[in-house]
Amino acid sequence: MKGLIQLAVRDEDMLDEREQIIDQLMHEYSDDILHLVYTYVKNRSTAEDLTQEIFIKCYEKLNQFNQQATIKTWVYRIASNHCKDYLRSWHYRKIMLSDKIWDYIPSKTKQLEEEIIKNSEEDILTNSVMSLPLKYREVVFLHYYEELSLREISKITTVNINTLKTRLKRAKELLKDKMKEEV
Amino acid sequence: MNDPFMNLKSSMKKSIFKDLSFSNERKSAVKEAIRTNQQSQFDNWNSETIIAILESVQHESKDGYNISIQLFQKNEHTFQKNEGQLYTLLHLLENKEILTSNWINKKKYYSLNSKGKKYLATYKEDISKQKISLEHLIEEASL
Repeated sequence: MKGLIQLAVRDEDMLDEREQIIDQLMHEYSDDILHLVYTYVKNRSTAEDLTQEIFIKCYEKLNQFNQQATIKTWVYRIASNHCKDYLRSWHYRKIMLSDKIWDYIPSKTKQLEEEIIKNSEEDILTNSVMSLPLKYREVVFLHYYEELSLREISKITTVNINTLKTRLKRAKELLKDKMKEEV
Repeated sequence: MNDPFMNLKSSMKKSIFKDLSFSNERKSAVKEAIRTNQQSQFDNWNSETIIAILESVQHESKDGYNISIQLFQKNEHTFQKNEGQLYTLLHLLENKEILTSNWINKKKYYSLNSKGKKYLATYKEDISKQKISLEHLIEEASL
């Protein structure tokens, strides 16, 4: 297949165009996407791996992007779906969860860590949000951290706007309970 | 108390997202993956096979079955007893925007995209150049 590759390389602007788009997307959104992924998977290196996969996926699916949505909501949607696929995957459920068992076995170092983590108000708020169930955590994060409108969030998650409103309200109630526990 | 999530953004930035950034190494890894993926997908195919497909749809759009018949007529037997692979390749060419497709009567008709036309034209140009240089060689040798 040398011939076509050479042609493709010669045809530089065509090949480069899609690569440039991805480059630009990474430049603009990669940190936001990484943070979004982290709120789903709660693990730094997993989040980095998944973010990498997400941008490769964007490249592969770029020709399926129709101009109906903004490119930003499109990328977020790919990211959100990719994370949910991961959380549903065999690997995550069997391997990562068995690692998590250690979280429930009390140890001294763990307690110490938590004490350090717990000391500031910022950490209390962050930890409370991170411990919300996924469907609340997702909408809270997209709305308050990524500062997206409910309409945009609805496009990303394919959840009805009114449902999102209810979830936000419920999330606030849950948060208040959690904050009381912490303090 | 007003909105409890008011300070979420700054709080998260100061805590869990502190120093959490998509590094340049990670970005390069993405680009690297894109490049190798681009090549390896086509590496499995013979360039003559691809050109034969492009030629078969250059004047009119055809469905997969008619493309396969035309390939046999051209003595291109890559897909003989292995027709499924043809559809994989058609799909790939479509994804790379070399072919476009239309659904007519539950059949998918493929035709050349502008990119595909360009490939085909450049390929033919190369072939004719090669021929000319060969002819030159033969001429010179016979003199």
